Amino acid sequence: MKPNWRWFLTGVGVAMAVLLLAVIFMAYQRPELLLDWANLRYCG
Amino acid sequence: MTPTNTSWRTPTLILIAGCIILTLSMGVRHTAGLFLQPMSADHGWTRETFSFAFALQNLVWGLGSPFAGAIADRYGAGRTLLVAASLYVLGLVLMSLAPTPLTLDLSAGLLIGLGLSGTTFPVIMGVIGRHTTPEKRSLALGIASAGGSFGQFAVLPIGQMMIATYGWQSALVLLACGVGLIAPLAYAMADGHKPSAGAGQSVLEALHEASRERSFHYLFWGYFVCGFQTAFIMLHLPSYLVDAGMSANIGMTAVALIGLFNIFGSFYFGWAGGRSSKKNLLVWIYGLRAVAILVFMLVPLSTAAAWLFAAVIGILWLGTVPLTNGLIAQIFGLRYMSMLTGVVFLGHQLGSFLGAWLGGRIFDETGSYDLAWTISIGLSVLAAICSWPVNEKPLARLAAAT
Repeated sequence: MKPNWRWFLTGVGVAMAVLLLAVIFMAYQRPELLLDWANLRYCG
Repeated sequence: MTPTNTSWRTPTLILIAGCIILTLSMGVRHTAGLFLQPMSADHGWTRETFSFAFALQNLVWGLGSPFAGAIADRYGAGRTLLVAASLYVLGLVLMSLAPTPLTLDLSAGLLIGLGLSGTTFPVIMGVIGRHTTPEKRSLALGIASAGGSFGQFAVLPIGQMMIATYGWQSALVLLACGVGLIAPLAYAMADGHKPSAGAGQSVLEALHEASRERSFHYLFWGYFVCGFQTAFIMLHLPSYLVDAGMSANIGMTAVALIGLFNIFGSFYFGWAGGRSSKKNLLVWIYGLRAVAILVFMLVPLSTAAAWLFAAVIGILWLGTVPLTNGLIAQIFGLRYMSMLTGVVFLGHQLGSFLGAWLGGRIFDETGSYDLAWTISIGLSVLAAICSWPVNEKPLARLAAAT
């Protein structure tokens, strides 16, 4: 594989990974989830 | 060290399969708390009923890990993973059907606990450790650890979404389907590989040898502190923030930041462990945890302070996993790596149990978490002191074999 393509595909991979992490991070932004999370203290 | 039986099981493929297995097994386990309210409400159970089953699960997970590791070392990781994944799936399905507290204990407690013993770090790290060169081993263990961290971060909101969309019973069956994917992946981990360095040594001899090494005890108790702190902080930090008058969103963002930075921290400390002293890095991790908690206690509590603390503690979260597992492989060799890492993981689980329980108990008794934070700082200092004298050199038996 040519170096240009390798860099391009690596960049696309990193960008998609960052996007995925951002989407998951945003999924935590719901107050009602904390109520469920608080239950974890009973479940360890 | 290279695979000997087949060519298609490359180290990269084994690493990818190991990462996915850890993502699934650790991630699904992390959703446990989401089921407390809907299950308790539907069955009329108390919180104690539900929490007992999961306390039992943690205990079985910890106690089962050395045995799962020994079975993997003796009969192969592939078979161990297949049986453990089957128990995990069966446990989740039976949990969705459990009509009584006893059946909940047997499914969520016993079966899932056994399933976790055979599908998490000790077994996976053993295979990955055997298939990487000493120079790249720490990095590989760090990548695998980051896989488990990603699972903990990613599967929780997915589990919550499943419960909201399909109901808790269907969500459990869907999660069981996800865990079922471990079975085909186990085939990639079935290396059938036995390094020659420990040939002739039995499981009991290996255990006896490790028990006579002070470094093994230091690693055990260091991991105990790691378990104590992670369980205490993850379970009680959101409540601590909300009790201080902060919104639920701030608490959730703190949890998300720990999960997010944990992925990078696991990877970083795995990478760093291949370039410098692993035990020194452990000293840094435990020492920095003490400093981070102390500063968090001393500065006025604010949103910025809470999020900064969460990010810092997230980086230091599971960085201990590749370093501790890497040290076991480095000192004691690869032959019984799964079993020995299973034993130190038992220390981690005992610490987790104590951290989760004691945090709540101290709050109930004193009305604040201050004492629990102080204990956490003290334990962190002790863990740093314990990690310092760890002798990283391979045992004389291994040195003579090379």
